[in-house]
Amino acid sequence: MKLLRDILDKQVVDREQVKIGKVDGLVAELRPGEPPKIVAVELGSITLGRRLGERPGRWMARVAARLGGKRHAEPHRIAWNKVRDIGVDIEFDIDVRETAIFDWQDWLRDHVIGRIPGAG
Amino acid sequence: MKKLLEISLGVVTSVGGFLEVGSVATAAQAGAAFRFQLIWAVVLGTFCIIFLVEMAGRFAAVSHHTIADGIRERFGFNAFLWPLLATLLVNFLVMAAEIGGVAIALELATGIGFQWWALPVAFLAWLFLWKGTFGFIEKGVAILGLVTLCFVVGAVMLKPDWEQVAAGAVPTLPDHDAANYWFMAVSILGASISPYLFMFYSSGAIEDEWDKSYLGANRAIAGLGMSFGGTIAIGVLIVAALVLAAHGIEQVDDYHQLPLMLIPIFGFWGFVLFVASLGIACFGAALEIGLQQAYLVAQGFGWTWGENLKPRDDPGFSTVYTILLVLAAIPIALGLDPLKLTIFSMALTAASLPLTVVPFLFLLNDERYVGEHRNGMIANAAVIFIIALGFVLAIVTIPLQIFGGT
Repeated sequence: MKLLRDILDKQVVDREQVKIGKVDGLVAELRPGEPPKIVAVELGSITLGRRLGERPGRWMARVAARLGGKRHAEPHRIAWNKVRDIGVDIEFDIDVRETAIFDWQDWLRDHVIGRIPGAG
Repeated sequence: MKKLLEISLGVVTSVGGFLEVGSVATAAQAGAAFRFQLIWAVVLGTFCIIFLVEMAGRFAAVSHHTIADGIRERFGFNAFLWPLLATLLVNFLVMAAEIGGVAIALELATGIGFQWWALPVAFLAWLFLWKGTFGFIEKGVAILGLVTLCFVVGAVMLKPDWEQVAAGAVPTLPDHDAANYWFMAVSILGASISPYLFMFYSSGAIEDEWDKSYLGANRAIAGLGMSFGGTIAIGVLIVAALVLAAHGIEQVDDYHQLPLMLIPIFGFWGFVLFVASLGIACFGAALEIGLQQAYLVAQGFGWTWGENLKPRDDPGFSTVYTILLVLAAIPIALGLDPLKLTIFSMALTAASLPLTVVPFLFLLNDERYVGEHRNGMIANAAVIFIIALGFVLAIVTIPLQIFGGT
């Protein structure tokens, strides 16, 4: 399997099939004399910023830390050993509610969307 | 039988998507200024959009990816950013134009200035997206959109010289106002080949849970639906050529000239039909563009999306269309001329085509996505042609905008 081609930018779902983001980045462990081993995937704006360049990455990290506090100063990581299935989407054996990934959507729901009548 | 029903629904729905403020305005302008001479642009645009819509549907049915998902996954985030930003901007402009179209229809109906209608129209569109389901919006737009058939009926009742109409399907050089002629050709192509149309279509295929068994239906819907839409646009053009030009209107530079089109044919009801067609077609398009913008952002970043979910369950998705509607209402509320905005955004749509169409060449030939249902020679030739056309349009749009724009 070619990691960059087949994993990067794939849709990520949790064990409830909730769409939680894309594989925005890969974390690999470099081993001397052996091919690199993938240890985690990264999600979120900081990782995306870093893909655009060093400066957008730093800038995005600062914005995320200011808006979300310490919990959001680093990219979200999901350990590779949590992978359950790779198909159209890539499924991880996690529950998004137990992570910080959806904090901003939760904030949006509680403070904006949920307050508008008829949001369901 | 069920498939047949689905095909007819799909056909009618695509008409709703095809016919919007851009195709009405550009076809009317072209007919008034150049009679039947620009029919070829509508025909060419319709052929191009048939190919792209068929591919978008086939890609979604076989790979279970929308076009936006496919572009991001295949080309990576950095490359995806360009079509993303271009489409977000084009969608914003076209959305403002559609709100303007509905607002003009309401002005014609009530006499109250169009800028006062911008916010109520945006609010009503938002309410539909907020409370409606995908099926409700799809079917509602489709069935009401049938009123636009009055242009085809009108064109036939005017008994045009069909030989001349057919001659217009062959491109010819203009004998006056060359820059204006080409600018209109570009705007017509932009109005017909809208990225929002095929991207929306691929999201719809996923919302409706298409699989490989839909490939035949997809082909029928793309071919029939877009031809149907193109026919109505040609109807508008014929009516404009025969009615507006006969009344000495060769330059449509104001929406208020347009309702005149159907009055000689249907009398007072012609006015009502025109206002209803304009209002409904633009409102339907506004709903689809609002959804498309939200689909695009949600799919690009991997958020939960779906018009059948409650806003609570996809807050990111519903925030996108809410923001878009608010922002797009502002230029119209400030009194920006909807006709100028429409023509401008159609030309810009044409210029943005290479960014969204180039990926088709790769996605539809990649076995990992479409397997044995890859593009054949003809489909690939069509994509290459559209890309080449898109590049030419991108280069000529700005000079033509300066010299030929109205």
